[in-house]
Amino acid sequence: MCNDPDVAPEIPDNQLLVSRRDAMIASVAVVAASHFAASARAQTGPRQAALPVSVDQALIIRTSINGQTLEIRIDARTSLLDLLRERLALTGAKKGCDHGQCGACTVHIDGRRVASCLTLAGKVDGREVLTIEGLAGGDTLHPMQQAFIDHDALQCGYCTPGQIMAAVACVAEGNATSRERIREYMSGNICRCGAYVGIVAAIEDAAAKMGRG
Amino acid sequence: MSTTAFPNRARVDALAKVRGEAKFAADLVLPRTLYAMTVPATIAKGSLSSLPVEAALRVPGVVRVLTPEDFPAPPPYSEDGPPPPPTLETIIAYRGQPVALVIAETLEAAIEGAEVIRPTYVAEAFACVMESAGAQRQPADEVAFGDAPAALSGAAATVESTYDSPTQHHNPLELIATVAVWEDGALLIHESTQASSLVKGAVAGALRLDPARVHVRGATMGGSFGQKAVQRQTALVARAAILTGRPVKLVQPRAQIFHTATYRARTRHQIRIGADADGKIVGVQHHVEQEQSPNGYFAVSEYHRDVIRMYGIRNYLGTGADIRLDRQDSGYMRGTHPQPAFFAFESAIDELAHKTNRDPVEFRLANDTRVDPQNGHPLSSRFLNECLREGARRFGWSRRSPVPGSMTASDGSLVGWGMACGIYQSATTPAIATLRIDARGHTRFAISGHEMGQGMRTAIASVLIQDLDIDPERLEIALGDTRAAPQHMTAGSWGTNSVVPAAMQAAQRMRAAVADLLDGRQVSGNLHRKLASIRRPFLQVEVTTVGPGQDQAALETLRQGGFAVAEAVYPEFSTFSYSAHFLEVRIEPRTRRIRVPRVVSIADCGRVISPRTAHSQVYGGVIWGLSHALREATEIDPRYGGYLNEDLADYVVPVNADIGEIEIGLIDQPDPLANPAGVKGLGQVSMVGISAAVANAVFHATGRRIRELPIRIEHLL
Ligand code: FES
Ligand code: FES
Repeated sequence: MCNDPDVAPEIPDNQLLVSRRDAMIASVAVVAASHFAASARAQTGPRQAALPVSVDQALIIRTSINGQTLEIRIDARTSLLDLLRERLALTGAKKGCDHGQCGACTVHIDGRRVASCLTLAGKVDGREVLTIEGLAGGDTLHPMQQAFIDHDALQCGYCTPGQIMAAVACVAEGNATSRERIREYMSGNICRCGAYVGIVAAIEDAAAKMGRG
Repeated sequence: MSTTAFPNRARVDALAKVRGEAKFAADLVLPRTLYAMTVPATIAKGSLSSLPVEAALRVPGVVRVLTPEDFPAPPPYSEDGPPPPPTLETIIAYRGQPVALVIAETLEAAIEGAEVIRPTYVAEAFACVMESAGAQRQPADEVAFGDAPAALSGAAATVESTYDSPTQHHNPLELIATVAVWEDGALLIHESTQASSLVKGAVAGALRLDPARVHVRGATMGGSFGQKAVQRQTALVARAAILTGRPVKLVQPRAQIFHTATYRARTRHQIRIGADADGKIVGVQHHVEQEQSPNGYFAVSEYHRDVIRMYGIRNYLGTGADIRLDRQDSGYMRGTHPQPAFFAFESAIDELAHKTNRDPVEFRLANDTRVDPQNGHPLSSRFLNECLREGARRFGWSRRSPVPGSMTASDGSLVGWGMACGIYQSATTPAIATLRIDARGHTRFAISGHEMGQGMRTAIASVLIQDLDIDPERLEIALGDTRAAPQHMTAGSWGTNSVVPAAMQAAQRMRAAVADLLDGRQVSGNLHRKLASIRRPFLQVEVTTVGPGQDQAALETLRQGGFAVAEAVYPEFSTFSYSAHFLEVRIEPRTRRIRVPRVVSIADCGRVISPRTAHSQVYGGVIWGLSHALREATEIDPRYGGYLNEDLADYVVPVNADIGEIEIGLIDQPDPLANPAGVKGLGQVSMVGISAAVANAVFHATGRRIRELPIRIEHLL
């Protein structure tokens, strides 16, 4: 099983910094699908155990995440949220309930907002996933991200990636036309810190800048 | 004391948070990580009779199952403080108590492994709600001054009522998460906690490790509200890391957190209060009963501390009792003791004002005090009446028609305008901080403290950027790390007022050190350039601060990772923060649905160091208060123990559409005595009193006095 394509290359055991792991994951994610398996195999001495599921529980999906194509073997039970966070180190989407009740895990699939905890990873085969990590254009923030800073639309920041992904979709859907409508269409995203006043103000502001208010 | 207002700067960690780059505990992705999942007990009291693990070990990917046998015996009793939380035990004290920990290569395997473990138990009779047969009632210490019964018997008017506040769970959005790494004989714990030093001590104690080999790095926290102090799960995960030699991660499911983390105890308050013919309060009797675990230490007498100091009360008799139940420990939750106490007390004040035909704002203004009623010492600052006047002005209180049920909206909704006040002690902890500025442009400030969204990092940055010519982009503020600075628990609204004076003092000392070094030479550029041009790689200063009345002993306690709080009734004066809230409720005529379209909330928190994050904290406090009044309550299952509404669909907290317009004002007058920065606490006072304001508004709208929270449609049918 050690030659499974999803096996992580060796990293020193004492590596506590996330940055190098991130770099490694990024390099895995950008590998074009056809080269992926060979490339991963070329890195010898895997220390992580192989995906410990029987063949009938595993499947291989091919998807695009933040614009990068990826082919990966997954446990069929894996949620999209756990795939992003635990396998791909895309930890921007958060787990607040794992039951579709809080919105912290909101990402876009083919431009529509979904709760990634309620979405089986297998369902994104052939689809495009956008997470908070892919929203900004390099160092240039998306207007919604900037508006969240300007209106201090957060405290702890745990709900924030989900709020922002939902907010971008809310504007694109045409549901950011009034404060009342924003409140209604943003009610799938709980903010326990109570940053709602700032969130509504940020969405109004960004909607005007996005030209879809 | 800061004499000028601070500028409105952006939250320093907002950029990382909007990019999804802020690292919360569960975001740590390490190579070779194993995933853990706990197996919760399904009885409320008794013992394990068998714990078969073979089925779990057959699940592909499961590598080990930890059971009570994998843990050392609990440490012997010590005078030094509460024992660490137990690890895995065969005795079951509450439903949901962890009995086994499954360790697996993947999260999916860990979950499946935990699900196939079916322990058997010997069950015993239990008591889990205050009404249960067998619940033990244990009287608490009295808090009294003057002669309240005598004063009340001579009062011109009295009211007497009982008020109920429910059990509640904090439910920060972040789940409790721990990543433990065992390496070279040392344990590194990465956890979302507001008490990294206590976690360190508890894990070392529970696992019999040398504390010098246990390090805790408090991660960015996704909210806490009092929940994330010392968790039972930490030592379990740490033990798993030690036994497997690999990093282990546990993200506890919310349904389990309901049963393992602390919660706000349900309370019942009986209040008798009277006034003389001039509308002056003559005396208060206040009896409190709260639910409590068998060995819980959460003090019932503290419900009186803030109530005593709200107004010029001359006679007070505070009594109480714990009702001992077979549940996990209750604990601190935002607003803690004053939160339920002020639902009761500020409702009672409204009832008394109504009975004596006085406007509730005027009634409160007339009962001001300049001294601490319990000991006669001065209050270091008190701008409650300023909060009241400013709030009344902004809200338009003078347009209120006083008769209940006399205001209606054009759609037929009943309109109620209510108000109430809040108070919270402004305690202080000692601090030990180091500030290091280097010639390459980097600045590092390390201190005790935990960032949970309240904005502590931003407040510290505000001070350092204001006082020092440094590169703000490369200012690092190390918090919550037991290796960076001695850590004290951050709670009880003592965070900012404990760290900001230390930051100010460090900046001052740094400026003096630079001046010494330059010795009159004129060197241009910011501090980094100055150091570079005189060829000093870096300059470091260390400062220590203590609260009023504290000395070296408090610093020593801090160094040992202990609890060193100077409570706000200081030796020579008392320091409290204040708030006044005004709000409107609308009650739909047919459905009786209650909405709160607007709130005005004004707070006196001394000097405001970070205006933007302070405002956000008050928005949050108001929403927490509305939630207490109208939404959240934990439903306990009297048949089987445990909690019924253990998720965010059934434990109802406000969503965006529940919240209307909220206007915040901060008095921003420095406190002259409490600390050199003039800062007082804010996080909790912003919430205290809101729930009473809602109940008072509902009374104004309907003439019905609701004395039980949360207020629901059925109360108004
Ligand atoms: S984690 Fe997906 S909705 Fe809460
Ligand atoms: S900012 Fe903390 S939950 Fe929204």
